[in-house]
Amino acid sequence: MSKFTAQLVDDYADKLLIGLTREENASVLNEFDIIEANMNKINDIAGLSSVEPMTHPFEIEFELREDLPDESDSIEQLLQNCEKKEGREVEVPKVVGE
Amino acid sequence: MTLLATIGLEMHCEMKSNAKVFSRGKNGYSEIPNSNVVALDLALPGTMPTINKYCVKNALKMSMILNCEQPEYMYFDRKNYYYPDLPKGFQITQFHHPVGINGNVVIEVNGERKSILIHDIHLEEDTASLDHGFDSTYIDYNRCGIPLLELVTEPCIHSALEAVAFLEHMRSVYKYTDISEADTKKGQIRCDVNVSLAEEGAPLGTKVEIKNVNSFSNVAEAINYEIKRQSELIESGRQDEIEQETRRFDEESGTTIRMRSKADAIDYKYFVEPNIPKYKITKEWLENIRTEITELALERKDKYIKQYGLSDYDAGVLVKEREVSDYFESCIALGIDAKIAANWVTVQILAYINKYELTLNEFFLTPEMLKTIVDKINDGTISSKQAKEVFFKTLENNKKPEEFISKENAQISDRKELESIIEVILANNQKQVEEYHNGKSNLFDFFVGQVMKETRGKANPVLTKEILNEKL
Amino acid sequence: MKTVLELRELLDTNQVTSQALVDEALVLAHQNQEKCNSFVTILDDAKGNHEKKSLLSGIPYVIKDNFSTTGILSTGSSNTLKNYIPFFNATVIEKLKEAGAVPIAKSTMDEFGMGGTGTTGHTGIVKNPWDPSRMTAGSSAGSAACVAAGVVPFALGTDTGDSIRKPAAFCGIVGYKPTYGLISRYGLFPFASSLDHVGVLTRSVEDACATIDVMKGMDERDQTSLDSSTMHLLDSLTGDIKGKKLFYIKNLLELDAYEKVSDSLKSTFAQFESTLDLLRNAGAIVEGIEFDMVLLNAIPTTYVCISCAEATSNLSNMTGFSFGSRGEGSTYIESMKNHRTLGFSPLIKRRFVIGSYVLQKENQEKFFLNAQRVRRLVVDKMNELFKHYDAMIMPCSEGVATKLEQAGNMLQNDLLEVLENHMVIGNFGGFPSITIPNGMIEELPIGVNITGKVLDDENILNIAYTLEAKMSYKNQIAKEVN
Repeated sequence: MSKFTAQLVDDYADKLLIGLTREENASVLNEFDIIEANMNKINDIAGLSSVEPMTHPFEIEFELREDLPDESDSIEQLLQNCEKKEGREVEVPKVVGE
Repeated sequence: MTLLATIGLEMHCEMKSNAKVFSRGKNGYSEIPNSNVVALDLALPGTMPTINKYCVKNALKMSMILNCEQPEYMYFDRKNYYYPDLPKGFQITQFHHPVGINGNVVIEVNGERKSILIHDIHLEEDTASLDHGFDSTYIDYNRCGIPLLELVTEPCIHSALEAVAFLEHMRSVYKYTDISEADTKKGQIRCDVNVSLAEEGAPLGTKVEIKNVNSFSNVAEAINYEIKRQSELIESGRQDEIEQETRRFDEESGTTIRMRSKADAIDYKYFVEPNIPKYKITKEWLENIRTEITELALERKDKYIKQYGLSDYDAGVLVKEREVSDYFESCIALGIDAKIAANWVTVQILAYINKYELTLNEFFLTPEMLKTIVDKINDGTISSKQAKEVFFKTLENNKKPEEFISKENAQISDRKELESIIEVILANNQKQVEEYHNGKSNLFDFFVGQVMKETRGKANPVLTKEILNEKL
Repeated sequence: MKTVLELRELLDTNQVTSQALVDEALVLAHQNQEKCNSFVTILDDAKGNHEKKSLLSGIPYVIKDNFSTTGILSTGSSNTLKNYIPFFNATVIEKLKEAGAVPIAKSTMDEFGMGGTGTTGHTGIVKNPWDPSRMTAGSSAGSAACVAAGVVPFALGTDTGDSIRKPAAFCGIVGYKPTYGLISRYGLFPFASSLDHVGVLTRSVEDACATIDVMKGMDERDQTSLDSSTMHLLDSLTGDIKGKKLFYIKNLLELDAYEKVSDSLKSTFAQFESTLDLLRNAGAIVEGIEFDMVLLNAIPTTYVCISCAEATSNLSNMTGFSFGSRGEGSTYIESMKNHRTLGFSPLIKRRFVIGSYVLQKENQEKFFLNAQRVRRLVVDKMNELFKHYDAMIMPCSEGVATKLEQAGNMLQNDLLEVLENHMVIGNFGGFPSITIPNGMIEELPIGVNITGKVLDDENILNIAYTLEAKMSYKNQIAKEVN
């Protein structure tokens, strides 16, 4: 019996600001079960918890950037793909509360 | 029952730099919206963060000042959430390996020294700013990506007074080190405050977080209100109504208001930023940065008291702003006596710059010029009264003090000259001389006055009195 | 339909002009578009370039639509960016421009790179030029299709799980993914940043070298990019691989280990054996090794956890606010949600939910962090092997390009899944990895994959080059089967 429910999936999607159709929800549920089963096996790998998680493919040495700013991009360029703007600013529905 | 308040602070401070911390855009204040913005600040697809060395250096510097441990490798993490002021949908911050952990800082509260434990200090970026209109909100990305240093204390503060003392101390440190302008009026400092109440000795009570408090006086008010609110609940047996929640401080009512509860708490899904590899913090670099750390306010104050014999009050006034302290120390370096310099700075100079709302950098009279004036007092060329005139003339005319110290204006300090003048005055005021000898000792001032009148104020007052005493 | 090097020769000897090449490419592009739907945008006003700046000057090429191109629509094959026009070039595009190469189209892909079939792009399915009832694989679908069809000699691709190397195999061409960081990712729409690579689709190994030579280079805008100034890929091809040692994973190539043994699988393995013999004849040593089966089985799920998690975060900027189509809504949440719900395809929405799930605080340890740990174990194992071997060689897939009607983008749970997805090892460790065609099954191409150690690109390209010369698939153009 799966520990995942359609409601759970909807909750996760909602937190991502994404809505799922019934079909999409069902597909996710199916995939969750497979992942869960596989991760359970993976969790059984001996000594796994003492392995350091790998965040990058290999150790990369790099230089930190000097404190020299770039020229600002023009307002026309910055907002050329913005569908709703007012003057020089991006306009969105009024944000209330916080 | 005696309830003890336990307070933890998170202080966010905008850092000074030329460029932003992960973006190559300019870090500067502008009235014009979206004028310090590059593609990355809008999170346009394909843009990537790169780390600014200067910001890291200062973050490490602050870490050392706070006596923290620095990590061998520095990592950055993503804090993921959705909000219009966060174009990437995540903030780059440090969660797992911040630039400093387990530190402490000594502050002064009501004349006593107290150690505040620091949980961590970390480097992160600021969000965009939202201008709220009538039914729309407008987003200005100028502030987006500006470097922030976030300092988190352990819950070891126990009153609003201590909290504010700590914040004031940190502000001074930021300004002294020039890491931040630390101006609350410009919104460069924002605080989150955690308050819990419990009986002394008992385990900590439920923690309530108050977010985004933007001035120190508001921090004090918020703490005091929260202590009152929680005490009332505890004392009336309703302490289970104190929830672990996030509140905001409402300036108008002076109260805190719930924003969201623990159940609605956001899971930020922190994970290591994959576009920024880990960076090795070498011992050499740390040592290098350490050499840049100059004495800070409290150390200077102690020095002024112990070494120069200044009063606690005067020392305190001198160290409050770094510019003032630097000016004072330049005077000492030039050879001006500490107490004299302290007097000039705390009385004449501060009064002047406060009156005309100048900074010391804008103040025309340099320590070198002050030395000239003080030297001329010391060698008797001018009196202290005349020195004050020279001081003001220098400032009014933006010319060197020497221009106002001439033979004509010079003090008369020549003994022979003064003696002859005094002899004449005494001769012309025989009646008063007799009365003086008969006991009217306050006539001494009359004679001094006459000398001054005769010399148009130029007579060296000390010498005048000396000679009069001899003659009378 | 010539290779880059052949075209260079013709251009330098004035036998053809750049404009002529560009014009021809555009005609072929439109034809290919009809047949395969390879492109999102065809740049009909592309102009030939007659200045000689580099080996690539004047030569037409195609750009996958997840690269930012100034003034040119860049969609990532997603509805969220259907009208998005960048005002800057990705670094690699800038480099190609300076080198004088001429872009003639932006190619269709799986949305944001998050698919392996070429069927999830917002402008439709990409069909395989060898057989339009089959997929090209993905996500560099259009790029593979148009190079295979001879429209252009090279096309840009990106590879996060095998997205250059699998389409190359299914389309009978060369697909090369260099060492991680060799090519800047600045301006590339990200999928999973620690796995994303920029690479190229060509019809010869030499062309892969020539193009990457121009594209590679440290970029101050990408702090994960590397200095490769001492690496000269084309120049270091020798054609001599005597004494080189290669390994293959024995336990993935035993027919008995598979539940379902198709004729295709048998044929693939048989042709793979022949390919190994060609290498041996050239003086290389090739042997099988046992790779920990538990680790192998863990690979697909590990990839899913890491890639979905990073992708979810990377694509959180798609809100429709400062760019992208604005979602309806009276609150900012509604607006963001509508943009994302309507703009993303079902496949990637599912990926995002998975990604979000594995990153939740209560799940991270078990899913995300353990996946990262498995990644390290796999990479460590590979590096162990690379101490004794120059490269790993494996078949790219069970067989030929899958029929479109069988295209599922869902996760399976068997050994075939491991075989089909094993090339992600190249992404886990940032290893240089190249696919070249090595055979045919019923007139449809199959490919073999060679993967080497970090920064050892010259070595594995040389191995691929030498092997290529021993076969007859170099510069092959797709011949449609009936």
